[in-house]
Amino acid sequence: MCKISEKKSSILLKKLLMSLNKILLTTLMTFGLIFSSTAQEKFTLSGTITDQKNNETLIGVTIIITELKTGTTTNEYGFYSISLPKGTYTLEISYIGFETITSTIVLEKNIRKNISLKESQELLKEVIVSDRKVKAEIRKPEMSVNKLTIQEIKQMPVLLGEVDIIKSLLTLPGVTNAGEGQSGFNVRGGSADQNLILLDEATIYNSSHLFGLFSVFNPDAIKDLKLYKGGIPARFGGRLSSVLDIYQKEGNSKDFHMTGGIGLISSRLLAEGPIVKDKASFLVAGRGSYAHLFLPLFNNDNSAYFYDLNTKLSYKLNENNNVFISGYFGRDVFNLNKSFVNTYGNSVLNLRWNHLFDEKLFSNMSFIYSDYYYGLKLDIIGFNWDSGIKNYNFKYDFKHYLSNKIKLTYGNNSIYYDFNPGRIEPSNDNSSINPEQLAKKYAFESAFYVDAEHELSKKITVSYGLRYSMFYRLGEQTLNTYENNQAVIFNPIFQIYESATPTGTISYKKNETIANFDNWEPRLGISYAFNDDQSIKASYNRMTQYLHLISNTQSPTPLDVWAPSDNFLKPQLLDQFAVGYFQNFKNDDYSLEVETYYKNIQDRVDYIDGANLIANEAIERVVLSGKARAYGLEVLFRKNHGQFTGWIAYTLSRSEQQIEGRTPEETGINNGQWYRTGYDKLNDISVVGNYKLDEKWRFGANFSLQTGQPVTFPNGQYEYNGITVPSYSLRNENNLPTYHRLDVSATLTPTSNTGRKWQGEWVFGIYNVYNRMNAASITFQQNKETASNEAIRLSIFGFIPSVTYNFKF
Amino acid sequence: MKLFNYISLLFLVITFIGCEKVIDVDLDTAPPKLVVEASINWDKNTTGNEQFIKLTTTTDYFSSSIPNVSGASVFITNSSGTVFNFVEITEPGIYVCNNFEPVINESYTLTIVYNGETFTATEKLLTTPEITRIEQNNEGGILGDEIEVRFFYDDIPNEANYYFQQIDDPYKAIPEFGVLEDRFFQNNELFGLYFSENLKSGDELIFTLNGITQNHYNYLNILLSQAGGGSGGPFSTPTSTIRGNVVNQTNFNNFALGYFRLSERAKIAYVIE
Repeated sequence: MCKISEKKSSILLKKLLMSLNKILLTTLMTFGLIFSSTAQEKFTLSGTITDQKNNETLIGVTIIITELKTGTTTNEYGFYSISLPKGTYTLEISYIGFETITSTIVLEKNIRKNISLKESQELLKEVIVSDRKVKAEIRKPEMSVNKLTIQEIKQMPVLLGEVDIIKSLLTLPGVTNAGEGQSGFNVRGGSADQNLILLDEATIYNSSHLFGLFSVFNPDAIKDLKLYKGGIPARFGGRLSSVLDIYQKEGNSKDFHMTGGIGLISSRLLAEGPIVKDKASFLVAGRGSYAHLFLPLFNNDNSAYFYDLNTKLSYKLNENNNVFISGYFGRDVFNLNKSFVNTYGNSVLNLRWNHLFDEKLFSNMSFIYSDYYYGLKLDIIGFNWDSGIKNYNFKYDFKHYLSNKIKLTYGNNSIYYDFNPGRIEPSNDNSSINPEQLAKKYAFESAFYVDAEHELSKKITVSYGLRYSMFYRLGEQTLNTYENNQAVIFNPIFQIYESATPTGTISYKKNETIANFDNWEPRLGISYAFNDDQSIKASYNRMTQYLHLISNTQSPTPLDVWAPSDNFLKPQLLDQFAVGYFQNFKNDDYSLEVETYYKNIQDRVDYIDGANLIANEAIERVVLSGKARAYGLEVLFRKNHGQFTGWIAYTLSRSEQQIEGRTPEETGINNGQWYRTGYDKLNDISVVGNYKLDEKWRFGANFSLQTGQPVTFPNGQYEYNGITVPSYSLRNENNLPTYHRLDVSATLTPTSNTGRKWQGEWVFGIYNVYNRMNAASITFQQNKETASNEAIRLSIFGFIPSVTYNFKF
Repeated sequence: MKLFNYISLLFLVITFIGCEKVIDVDLDTAPPKLVVEASINWDKNTTGNEQFIKLTTTTDYFSSSIPNVSGASVFITNSSGTVFNFVEITEPGIYVCNNFEPVINESYTLTIVYNGETFTATEKLLTTPEITRIEQNNEGGILGDEIEVRFFYDDIPNEANYYFQQIDDPYKAIPEFGVLEDRFFQNNELFGLYFSENLKSGDELIFTLNGITQNHYNYLNILLSQAGGGSGGPFSTPTSTIRGNVVNQTNFNNFALGYFRLSERAKIAYVIE
C-alpha cells in the first residue's frame, strides 16, 4: 500500500519536474544558449564513489573520460553522472589522498557503477600509477573558492594544539579575522555576519567558542569543507560575503572504530560504526574542554568550558534512496561564583533524503531546525537575560546531469525565522528588575534558483544562474511609527543623531506581512582554458542579505542579536566582480592562482554614536544605512607534491564603509567620509609549509604577517568632571603595529603503530615561536592610581607550547 | 562606578590570559578646542547659591597639565531674565558665582563669550532622589571575595529617568562614574553598586547621585566608555568626537566640548564597617 502511493507520488513529482525542466530549458534558451543537440544515441554512466575502508562517500572526486577529454566530479553526496555517446571508454577516477584507478567500460546502455577508492599508502608508492594532487581548477568556471582537506588542516601548527578549521582558512588569501582572539572571520573585506556557515546544510549562527579563541567545529567529525568567496553558485543565498559549506562524515558502515585526542585545552572522542553492515551507520563525536580554562582566574566555584556534540545516522534504503539524520549541539559556559553565568551556543537537527529519480536526476530534500541560544545571569544586579534565533528550514535541491556538456542545479529553499531579541527577568527575590519580553520577531525567507554549468567548447565553460529571493517580515508584532518615517533624527544644533520619538504604533496580526522584499540575484562565471594547465576566469555575483547581526563592536560578541529586515532596516545588497588567472605547472607539482575582485554593498548598516544595542526594542531608532566597498588582489602559490608541500598566500586589499547624511545638513557618520572597517587589512601574507621527513616524523610551520588592525588613536585630551577624556576625530585613521608570528609543529607517528589496531600520534607545537608581543589592542586611559594618561598594549598570546595525543582504533 | 558592563567582562576574560604593558605611542594633536564643564549641582538642604564653571581647552594626550581658559565672560540667565554672573576670582579658568538661585524645573541659559565668539546652552534643573539606605556585603563582587557596598534610592515614578552616579574611593586618584536608566527598574528601588578588593574596615566611600536628561545620559555614556579605556579591544565600540550641548553662535563649526547641566545632588559618605 505504502509503496504504491510512494511510487505514485514519485511519478507525479517526476512529471512536475519534467514540466519544470521544460520551463527551465526555455529560460535557458532565452539566455541565448542552445544545447548542442546530437542525433547520436546517448547513455548515462552514474554512481556513487566511496572510500573502500569505511564506505564514506567522497566529495569532489574527478572522473575523466580519457578518450573524450571530458569528465565530471562527484557532488556533496558522492554521486556522479555523465551522459556519453555509445562506445567503449577508459575512466580515470582520482581523488586527493587516494589511489587513482582506471577502468574500461562498454557503454551501450545506462550503467550504474559504484566505485570505491583506496587510500594511497606511501609504502606502496611504486605500484601507484599516479597520485592525484591538490591543484588549481582549470576548466571549471568555479573560482574564488578556498579548499582545504581535513588532512591539510590537521597538519598545520595550531594554537594550544586545537585543530581549528576556521583558523586554518585564515592562511588562505582573502580570509582574515579582525585580530587575535576575535570571533568570526572576514572574507574579502566583508563583515563576520556576512558569512553563511553551513554544517550539513544547516545554518550555524555563531562559529566561535570562547569569544573567538576556537571554532565550533570538531575536526574529527568533518569530512569536507569549501569556502566560496566569490562566484557563489545560485543554490546559496542569504549572506553577502561568503559561504562556508561543511559536511560531516556519515560514519563507517563497515566496522566499528573510535578516534580521539587528548590536548591541553580539550579532549575529543568519536565513535562510528555500522548499524546494518554496508547500509546503515552512525557517528557520534564529542569534544569538551576542561572546566578551568583560565586557571589564574578561576577557583572551585568558577568554571569556564565549552563542549560540542556531533551526531549522524545514515541509512542507505536502496540504490536510489539515502536518508541522513544529523545533529550538532554546542555550548560555552562561564560561571563565576554563580553571580555571573553565561551560556551560549548553536544546536542543529537535520533530516535529509537523497533520492535518485533516474540516473540523470539527483535530488536532496532537507528539513532543518537550527537555533542559537544566548543566556546571561548577572545575579549581582539581579538580572537574567535570554535571547536567540530559531529557524525552520526546508530545502529541495536537484542536480540534473543533462549531458556531458551541461549540468543543471535547481531548487527551493524556504526558512521560517523566530527571533527572540531578549527576555529579561529578575534572577532572585531581592531583584528590582521588572520582567520584560522584548517583542519577538518573525520572518519567512524563500528562494528559487537555477544554475547551469555549460561547456561551450573545449576551451570555454560558462556557468550562469539566477536566484529569486523573497523575504517577508511577519507579525504578530506592534511597531512604532515615526514622523516622516524617520526613526533617527538629526539634531542640527548639537550636530548629533538622536532616536526619534515614536508618533504612534501599528499592530500586525499573526502572520500578517509587515514588510516584504524580493530580489533577482544573477550569478555568472566563465572560464577560458588556454590548455590543460592554464586558464583565465571571470565571475559576477549578486547577493542579498535579509538578516542583520546587530553589533557595534570591533568583532561580534556572543550577545549580539540577529534582526530581520523591515521598513527601516533594509536588506543589504552586494555586487561582486572577480577575474583570475590559474596555472598548474611542472606536472601539477606547483600551482598559481591570482585573483582580483571588487565588491560594492548597498544598505550597509551602521549605528549612531552612543547607540545602545543591548535590549533595544526599536533598533531602527539607532541605525543609519550607507554603503560599503572592498577590493583586492589575491595570490596563492602552492607546492602540491613531494616531501615538502605548502603555500604562500598574499592578499592586498581594502575594505571601507561610508554613511553619508540623508540631507546636506546632516553629518552622517565620520563626517560622511569613507572610513576603513575594523577588519581592513592592506597586506596579509601567510606562508605554510609541511615537511615529511620519514614515516615517523612530520614537521609543519606557519608564518603570518599582516598590517595591524585599523584603530582610532586620540588626537588630544580634555578634562571633564575630574577625569581626563581622550578626544577623537575621524574613525580608523591609525593602525596597530604590524602583526607577525611563526608557529611550528612536529608530529610523531611511532613505528610501533605498524600492524596493530591502535594507531597513536603525538603532535608537539609551538605557537608564536619568537614570542612576538603582537598588539591585540592599544587602549588609552587614565591610570586610576596616578591619574596620568597611558597607552596600554594588550597582547594575547606570546610563546605557547602544546602537546596533543591523537589515537584511532 | 563599577556598574556592570558586560562587554568589559568579556574583555576581562581575554585580558586574564593576555598580558598588558604600558607603551609609548606617537600621537598627533589637534588644534585646541574650548571645553566647558558647567555642572550646576544643588546639594540637598543647601541654598545652592555657590556654583562654579570650569573652562579649559584640549591639549596633547600625554601632557600632564590641562590649559585653563582665562578672561572669558560667563553668565547664566533664568527664564525670567535674572542674570547670574560667574567670575574668575582666584583660580584661573574657574568661574565662580555666589548668588545662583536654583529652582527645580526652571530653565537656564548659559552664555560664554570667549575670543570674540559667543557660546550658549540651555537646560532645565532636574530633581534627584534621596539616598534611602546603604548595604554592605563582605562576600561581594563577582567572585564573592570583595567588599561590596550598595547605595539605594527610589526611582522617580512614572517617567523615564536617567541617573549619574559617582563614587570616590580613597585608593583611587580619580572618581568612578556610572550612568543608569530606569528602563528595566521603572518605579522600583535602584542602587549604585561598588566593590573593590582594596576596601577595608574604616575606609570612607562617597556616593554622589544626580538626575540627568536623556541627552546628557547619552553624552556621558559615550564619554565614560571612551575615557574608561573602552576605546580599544575587540569588544569596544567605535570612537567619535563627543558633542555636548554648548553651541557656538558666532562660528558654528568651532564648537565647544563639554556640557551644561543642572540638577539637585544627593551625596552621602559611608565608612566601611
